[in-house]
Amino acid sequence: MHELQKLILVFIGAALVNNFVLTYFLGICPFIGVSRRLDDALGMGLAVTFVMTLTATVTWIIYYLILKPLSLEFLEYVAFILVIASLVQIVEMFLRKSVPRLYQALGIYLPLITTNCAILGLALFMVLKNYTLPQAIVFGIGGGLGFTLAIAIMAGIREELEYADVPEALQGAGITLIIAGLLALAFMGFSGIIGG
Amino acid sequence: MVLASILTMGFLGLVFAVILAAANAKLKIEEDPRLEALEDVLPGINCGACGYASCRALAEALIGGEALPVTCVVGGRAVAERIAQVLGREFKETTRRAAVMHCLAQNGDKKKRAVYRGVATCAAAELVAGGDLDCVYGCLGYGDCERACPFDAIHIIDGLAQVDYSKCTACGLCAQACPRGIICVEELPLDANYVVFCNSNDPGREVRSFCKVGCIACGICVKNCPVKAPKLENNLASIDLTKCKMHAICEEKCPRNVIGHIRRSPLTVDRSRSTTNDERLTVAEGDKNA
Repeated sequence: MHELQKLILVFIGAALVNNFVLTYFLGICPFIGVSRRLDDALGMGLAVTFVMTLTATVTWIIYYLILKPLSLEFLEYVAFILVIASLVQIVEMFLRKSVPRLYQALGIYLPLITTNCAILGLALFMVLKNYTLPQAIVFGIGGGLGFTLAIAIMAGIREELEYADVPEALQGAGITLIIAGLLALAFMGFSGIIGG
Repeated sequence: MVLASILTMGFLGLVFAVILAAANAKLKIEEDPRLEALEDVLPGINCGACGYASCRALAEALIGGEALPVTCVVGGRAVAERIAQVLGREFKETTRRAAVMHCLAQNGDKKKRAVYRGVATCAAAELVAGGDLDCVYGCLGYGDCERACPFDAIHIIDGLAQVDYSKCTACGLCAQACPRGIICVEELPLDANYVVFCNSNDPGREVRSFCKVGCIACGICVKNCPVKAPKLENNLASIDLTKCKMHAICEEKCPRNVIGHIRRSPLTVDRSRSTTNDERLTVAEGDKNA
């Protein structure tokens, strides 16, 4: 029971309280870049969730079963980037074959998941917080779903924004960033739920 | 320690390389081999000047038949020929895109209504009550277009911007820079094409009073063209290049000598054939070679 409770807290922490995009400000690039249409945003969110989960799993295995026993913890950055790059490549190949429309829609943002600091951040946080393997997996799922939530909300707002009367000086990047800031403020309301 | 790290990273690299190779083999998709050949031929800078998002997008459109080989603006004729080669099509270059400057008035031709002592840019001059020329449609000559051009293809010569067609790549930056919209990027048929080099919507008698080479909308070109290519709109004549058959009648009959033609070489307008009766303004003599 205690374990399950911890897992739930990890999940809520990753998805809401310490949302990767809106609290840690990681992964802003796809957040702004792919949030023009809701369908694309959801597709991106799911791709990121998948990558995050798999990354969390594989990096945990590599860190605790290879690097730590050999006292090579300092290699974590290099090894994690290697893992992330390979995983994203596989996801890209898979998407290109099975869902070409999504592949076209994501465009350059798909390989950009590799350099996305949110993924590397996830891997490094997982090490920092000393999660067990189940906790790491849940952390990945939660982080991904939190990212999906944030990007979906952003896409919904931006789609509505097309019918709004935005002042000329703020059109485009200006109003988008303001909205992102307001969303971040809103998500601050979740702080304190999991006590630290 | 060092050996351990090298071996570990090497091992990890190997594992993932194998996984990726396997995935690549399993998830391969059929791709038209011409796509890669076209991507090699295209400049590969993804500038977007052709209207497609990337060179790859243009390659796909070329194979699909939606785009013509001449679509790559930056690549020019050389790239277009190679594209046609890859696609196995015959290369028929019929038009090229280039900037056209719709004004012919050099310093002696246009009248100034004020002495302008402000910032010497067209944009600034235009802001001050619409510039220092009597004509509010004509070239101010302060060189915003010249400064905007990255290919050194447009120059202010004697107060008039003139396009060097051997260098123009139709990127459109000069057209954006001109505050009066005098420059347009147009599709020009290749060997010769006829253009009315004026932008003025003012009535003829006003144009006559402040410009020696402005279009007065007399309609002589419209009446004399056998294929009805010129048309008169808003006190300005313009020529439909899709209809023009290069009879050159309009150029000959125009009383203001404002119609000329563009070849690959810089613009030439023969002004010695002037037939104007206007005594208030004296007509310039000789050729106006750019």
